[in-house]
Amino acid sequence: MNKKLLSLVLISGLIVSGVFASGAQESGDSAGKKVAGFVWYNYADTFITSARTVVANEAVNGPVALLSTDSQNDIAMQANNINALFAKKVDYICINNISPNDSASMIQKAKDQNIPILFVNCTSPTEEELASYDKVYHISSAAEQSGWIQGDAVSEYWKAHSDADRNGNGKLDYIMLVGMQGNYDSQMRTDKSIERVVDNGIEVNCLQEMLCDWQRGKAMNQVASVLAANGNDIDAIFANNDDMALGAIEALKASGYLGDGPYIPVVGVDATKVGVQAIEEGTLLATSLNNPVTLGKTIYKVLTLLDEGQPITDETVGATMTGKHIWLDYVAITKDNIEDAAY
Amino acid sequence: MELTQSNIKKILMDNLLYVVLLFMFVILIIISPAFLSWIVIRDILMQSSTRLIIALGCMFILIVAGADLSGGRVVGLAAVIAGSLAQSSTFYNKFFPMLPELPVIVPVLIAIGIGLLAGFLNGIIVAKLEVNPFIATLGIALVVYGFNCLYFNLPPNNSQPLGGFTKGFSALGGGATLGIPNIIIIAAVCTIIVYLFQRKTCLGKELFAVGGSKDAARVSGINVEKILVLAYSLAGALYGLGGVLEAARTGSATSTYGAGYEMDAIASCVVGGCSLMGGVGSVPGVVVGVLIFNVISYGLTFIGISSYWQNVFKGVIIICAVALDVRKNRKKN
Repeated sequence: MNKKLLSLVLISGLIVSGVFASGAQESGDSAGKKVAGFVWYNYADTFITSARTVVANEAVNGPVALLSTDSQNDIAMQANNINALFAKKVDYICINNISPNDSASMIQKAKDQNIPILFVNCTSPTEEELASYDKVYHISSAAEQSGWIQGDAVSEYWKAHSDADRNGNGKLDYIMLVGMQGNYDSQMRTDKSIERVVDNGIEVNCLQEMLCDWQRGKAMNQVASVLAANGNDIDAIFANNDDMALGAIEALKASGYLGDGPYIPVVGVDATKVGVQAIEEGTLLATSLNNPVTLGKTIYKVLTLLDEGQPITDETVGATMTGKHIWLDYVAITKDNIEDAAY
Repeated sequence: MELTQSNIKKILMDNLLYVVLLFMFVILIIISPAFLSWIVIRDILMQSSTRLIIALGCMFILIVAGADLSGGRVVGLAAVIAGSLAQSSTFYNKFFPMLPELPVIVPVLIAIGIGLLAGFLNGIIVAKLEVNPFIATLGIALVVYGFNCLYFNLPPNNSQPLGGFTKGFSALGGGATLGIPNIIIIAAVCTIIVYLFQRKTCLGKELFAVGGSKDAARVSGINVEKILVLAYSLAGALYGLGGVLEAARTGSATSTYGAGYEMDAIASCVVGGCSLMGGVGSVPGVVVGVLIFNVISYGLTFIGISSYWQNVFKGVIIICAVALDVRKNRKKN
């Protein structure tokens, strides 16, 4: 190739990509409207993408325009994005925070610029931090609910089926598929599901707890191994999300379980389309829906109320509030209410 | 040959990998006798299949003294593309709602083609633009991952995990022929083809020549750029196939599929005797390298050791295997 031409191609590649990549994505006609800056933890996350799309759609005809940034699951990137949005002097800031220890300084920055700050779908700032500024809100699903729903579903199955105790030791022997160490949702689901089973008066025994990085393939490999080793002891499989639950189901099927073989209840979280299909087929016992549409609409509703100068209450927002927390409920999805999973 | 002490030592050293693999099996069987069963061996071989195909691709790259950080992301893209084209017409959340059911071969070939294209781009950037392979493939990894997320997020799918694959497509990963899982057969066929290509064809030998010394290869009339592009393209095609099988095996695909697989592949190759300096690498070595890692992850779970330990063991094995290899080769020279 002609050397000059090659250089030209390389230079234009650099410029075009640079222009595309730099800066945040704007949605909603920003002329004359106030602007809300969003710091999403990771665009690659299915749930976040859905919520983000809903907020963007609401903004098309809404009173507040958006400026969205992607932290790419990187705390340093998140800090850069937050600084950039404050420097741009946005009118509202919404943070899908990945760094719970840092919320005090974010609130302080918002206070300095006197703009409302919303923490969305993340760990809450402490009550002290929430009290330190009047325009701070926390909008999130109640993570423990997703664990409770799993615990209740498995308890109910256990009590309804006399053969649920497969090795007859009087204890519910389970394996736990963990999404990510140190992740708030992962931790809550792991702990609260089992706590609930125990609260329901059932003795439990953890056969194995396995880290599967939220991934279907990893869960499948690990569960295949546990089945080969202790297949006859397993009474239930808890997974922090549907992808891992479905990986476990694939492993069960491959080893002759489910279908015509012995049944082992598997529970997940998320109510993904494939998860709901598995519930329909009877391979997944229960999952729960943290509805991204509800999240997106609630966030935008709060922004609208703030913009109009209205009070933020249970009635105006349409969700349960305790203090400055706005809680969005998980919905349990089982064979009886599959239609509720549609959004 | 007389079995003197030094001879035994030499035989052990030359076949160290096989010894290690056997040793691991024996230990696992001693701890848990149930480990010695057809189901366990079948599971391990099935789990190794996709990893082996990806590692064979990686082997080509290491032989030409290259590096490839894009492998995992190419696997992910191929998995999503194959998955999106392999859905049965009755599935209610289809990626392309209007698309009729395609014969199995179509999504497979398209996904392999996409992998080949990504590999070809890697090759061109390394060979023609003379960008360091680490950087070239890092760049392609990002581009591929970005495109994968964009594709995966297309409406009406909106980043929902793909599912509802046709029976034929799922059979690639889950079905069996004459009692042997198809995925193992596919991996075995690939392994034999790659072995024959590497040992019996001129191109296969030219790969080693280029890896040994680019200058010497050039002087002896080999088109070095062409061989480099070939190595990366072949690797890409194998990653593509790996992605297809990963989707078929797990019955799903998301844009995060394949994350980190390139490092596992490099580790398996290196433990299997490939040199990062190029010019060295054998198919049997890579097969054993892959098996060692899969026996570790399956075996430790089997005997109930926390999954956190798996990485510790894997890391120690990589370091020990390569350190021993360095010593062995030094003696030879």
